[in-house]
Amino acid sequence: MDEQPTPRPQRPIEILRARHGGISKELKEYFNERQRLKKAIRAALAEGPRSVPEIARACGIPPPKAMWHVMAMRRYGEVVEAGERDDYVLYALKSKGA
Amino acid sequence: MPYIHDRYDALVIGGGIAGMQAALDLGEQGFDVLLVEKGPSIGGVMVGLNKVFPTLDCSSCICTPRMAESAHHPRIRLQTYTEVQAVRRDGAGFAVELLKKPRYLDETACIGCGECELACPIEVPHEFDYGLGARRAIYIPHGNAIPQKAVLSVEDCVFCGKCEKVCPADCMDFTQLPERVTTMVGAVIVATGLEITPMDAKPHYGRGLIPNVMSPLAMERIQSSNGPYGRVLRPADGKVPRSIAYVQCAGSRDRSIGIPYCSRVCCMYALKQALLLRHYIHDVEVTLYYMDIRAFGKGYEQFYRRALAEGVKVVKGKVGRITELENYDLSLRVELLDEDQRLVERRHELVVLSQGLIPAWHPSAILGIEEADDHFIKAPDLKVAPSVTTVAGTFAAGVAAGPKDIPDAIVEAGDAAMAAANYLAAMGWNGTAARVPVPA
Repeated sequence: MDEQPTPRPQRPIEILRARHGGISKELKEYFNERQRLKKAIRAALAEGPRSVPEIARACGIPPPKAMWHVMAMRRYGEVVEAGERDDYVLYALKSKGA
Repeated sequence: MPYIHDRYDALVIGGGIAGMQAALDLGEQGFDVLLVEKGPSIGGVMVGLNKVFPTLDCSSCICTPRMAESAHHPRIRLQTYTEVQAVRRDGAGFAVELLKKPRYLDETACIGCGECELACPIEVPHEFDYGLGARRAIYIPHGNAIPQKAVLSVEDCVFCGKCEKVCPADCMDFTQLPERVTTMVGAVIVATGLEITPMDAKPHYGRGLIPNVMSPLAMERIQSSNGPYGRVLRPADGKVPRSIAYVQCAGSRDRSIGIPYCSRVCCMYALKQALLLRHYIHDVEVTLYYMDIRAFGKGYEQFYRRALAEGVKVVKGKVGRITELENYDLSLRVELLDEDQRLVERRHELVVLSQGLIPAWHPSAILGIEEADDHFIKAPDLKVAPSVTTVAGTFAAGVAAGPKDIPDAIVEAGDAAMAAANYLAAMGWNGTAARVPVPA
């Protein structure tokens, strides 16, 4: 008699994913855009400290959007303040090991 | 998981300043209290404020000791991230049905280290910062949160499992489900607090779509030392604002949006924020456009005079329209009430709408409590029993009963606790004697 292969037990995170019907299309798009913008902001700041309008121009996005994404990177320690110019704060990438 | 007993003397709904005060006052009298909070932390609106008027004390410095006391009090059982689903009269008390939402981790094992948050790959707008700052899908609600435990917002989760891998306490539990819990209580205190009038209530103020037109609660977060920007900047482009306007009565005393009452706190919070802005930003110009300044509390008139002395400008005028200009500055059309209703355009770099207070929760469906015409809880005997509602054994405290400031909310919470204690004594409520622990 052929034995049925025992199915691999589902990992708890897979159970959660299945219960919630996976990642929604909106969240997937949002996550991908966030990753793309983080990369673009890192690239913009690799050339030196910049203000939010300058970062926005470099990334081709409106300043309010750039503001939120830069502040999110600041919140989690990826970006730091690096001076001020004409009433705008300049932001820089946090140096490695700092 | 900590269990919920099958019987408490009182249920307090809402873990803001009023709910905590009511729970503490009952607990100190020897009553056993179940304090239920729908969010992942207690502290309510107050713990997110920067400073309080008229003393300019740090708000969280006053709020957090009460949060800690509520959480550690031997007679208070704190139940966060839990909603009250049903309350029905049962003999001398009330049968209560609660829904405990899953945090997707073992709350007793979580040590609040925040490693999961650091490992999580997705940032979303943080409710605590009114969307201006970011949190991750799994997060500790904020630095002063009690309990200091993580919560996973499953709607934002990309199911990568990194939180589980880095958790040193091995506390993640992705299989958790919402849990229904029932218990009996002798009395109920509703302290469900406030929301502010919606940003889009008045279309001519930008419908909430202009980034530099903000709510006063967002300004509280911006001014806070642990705020989303770490300093005062405008949300549209990170500029240090040099000219800021406050539009008073932007959500109160306005029949056109169905809120004819005065919200009682807007004049004072606007003056407080304006005065602090003068401290935070060198040479900033702050102007309040107002109908009347209502500085009615103890020390409030003196605070108003102080704000004027320190350079806050007040203009008796009604703002009719706010238009966004090309560089994200704002143009305000103002009717100058002291100058024959002359219409002028005034330019500012940031605008705060002094929005009014509305109730955060309507208890009529669940508790049968009647609302007054203003939709806050009705007090049928307002003069002599302000916390007594239309349903025997249920009481109201804080802004759930009507707009008020923090000192008044605390006083009223004490009154609600006293009224509940008297009610329990009059009913001959048999509290702890009949109690046995049951697993939740």
